[in-house]
Amino acid sequence: MVLEATMICIDNSEWMRNGDYSPSRFQAQADAVSLICGAKTQSNPENTVGILTMAGKGVRVLATPTSDLGKVLSCMHGLEMGGEMNLAAGIQIAQLALKHRQNKNQQQRIIVFAGSPIKHEKKALEMIGKKLKKNSVALDIVNFGEDEDGKPEKLEALLASVNNNDTSHIVHVPAGQNALSDVLISTPVFTGDGEGGSGFAAAAAAAAAGGVSDFDFGVDPNIDPELALALRVSMEEERARQEAAAKRAAEEATRQEKGEEAQPQSDSQNATMNATEKASDPMDEDDALLKQALALSMNIPGSDSSAGDAQMSEATNDDQEFALALQMSMQDGSKDSSDQSDVSKVLGDQSFMSSILSSLPGVDPNDPKVKDLLASLPSQSEPQEKKEEDEQPKDDK
Amino acid sequence: MSAAESATAIHRNQVDLLDFIDWSGVECLNQSSSHPLPNALKQGYREDEGLNLESDADEQLLIYIPFTQVIKLHSIVVMGSEEDGPKTVKLFANREHMGFSNVSDFPPSDTAVLSQDNLKGKPVVVKYVKFQNVRSLTIFIEDNQSGSEITKVQKIALYGSTVETTDMKGLKKIEDH
Repeated sequence: MVLEATMICIDNSEWMRNGDYSPSRFQAQADAVSLICGAKTQSNPENTVGILTMAGKGVRVLATPTSDLGKVLSCMHGLEMGGEMNLAAGIQIAQLALKHRQNKNQQQRIIVFAGSPIKHEKKALEMIGKKLKKNSVALDIVNFGEDEDGKPEKLEALLASVNNNDTSHIVHVPAGQNALSDVLISTPVFTGDGEGGSGFAAAAAAAAAGGVSDFDFGVDPNIDPELALALRVSMEEERARQEAAAKRAAEEATRQEKGEEAQPQSDSQNATMNATEKASDPMDEDDALLKQALALSMNIPGSDSSAGDAQMSEATNDDQEFALALQMSMQDGSKDSSDQSDVSKVLGDQSFMSSILSSLPGVDPNDPKVKDLLASLPSQSEPQEKKEEDEQPKDDK
Repeated sequence: MSAAESATAIHRNQVDLLDFIDWSGVECLNQSSSHPLPNALKQGYREDEGLNLESDADEQLLIYIPFTQVIKLHSIVVMGSEEDGPKTVKLFANREHMGFSNVSDFPPSDTAVLSQDNLKGKPVVVKYVKFQNVRSLTIFIEDNQSGSEITKVQKIALYGSTVETTDMKGLKKIEDH
């Protein structure tokens, strides 16, 4: 929201006829200029923008700094290319135009599009830069188009002599698939030192880029906030549901003692319990979902019912209490089967458990250990916990 | 010592105009961002010898100070070091938003060439008649003592009086009907 007067220096030299930026360098430049004008006026309604051309017969000011966007854009029409760009004169005349701005409280900024070779010496450019800095004028340089030897160095030197506290920037835009405007949108030229114009820039990016977007759900929050919000909320609910289910699965896994398979789960469960983190292995989630589906289909009460998203939050709360209770019981080493009556019902159903176990990758139901576990399932017994402790150190190696 | 004496002698009915400076409008062109104007102007900072106002790109400085009310300027104190302190100082009264390009467009209200005494704290008495009705003051530091690239100013103090002086205590007495 910085109050700013900007002069944009356009390169309309012969080099702009080149088509390496689609559709032509000049057209790409014009698009970028219109986007910049829009961004500046949007970030602060009192901002003014002016335009001048650097090539052609000589430096010509097309529009003095004005907040009338229409006037600025209309003077971009019918511009002719030709001649050579005169960078030094262009910048100096831009500085003069800014000096005579109507609102003296505006910060002064010049944006230069340097598309053709620069005939000035580095020294001369540095002198100009110093003068700009002395009069507290910020300078943004867009280096595109011709890539001759020494051009980037000259422009960097110019930037270094102007730059005061990072208010000035330089952007190098190579020719390629991305349009000039798209590349510029993410740069400080647009975002204005990290404030203000980013909203406009984001909207413009979504509009221009079409399918390619950086937003989480392919929906621009600026364009359709409700849809984006709904997507985000449902994503979070799903994640919470999965975590709860994963936690439940891990709890069951520790109690079942599924041999080596259980170890990563029980370890993670212990780590989870101890650290009260919600991270879980992907396999846990698969197990959880599988168990969930099986339990649901068997209409077991107390299992995670996904009927109605509204109940989800309550369900997850219950699960967390579950986990806490389990943790306490594990640490104490005492039986606490009262809370887990429902779940132990599930576990007690041997056929159900063995079917689940057989579906797990890596677990062989014929493994004697597994068989032992299945047999000892219905009761929470200390031998089980001891086993778990035994197997834990094994895994810790 | 003599500087202090002469300073107090002049300040008989002059006050430090620090309280009347409109800080929201104070500007300084060509200052270094690590050594800005408040180092030389603000109470406390200006007494600290380690804190200076320094120029950036070259040795010139353009300081714009608006006031909250109309004042008369009597004298100024500019303190700096022997080599890097300012030499030629031009004062412009009531000129808004000057730039380095138009300092030479109109004559200054007063010009002062600072001596070593001045740099140590001896006030420079200005042409009082030219500063009777000052809303804003522009100080243009043209060069420094040794001609180096950077001008360093340790303290700038302005002394004068306000145009409308209201004695608050006097007001209270009148109210007692």
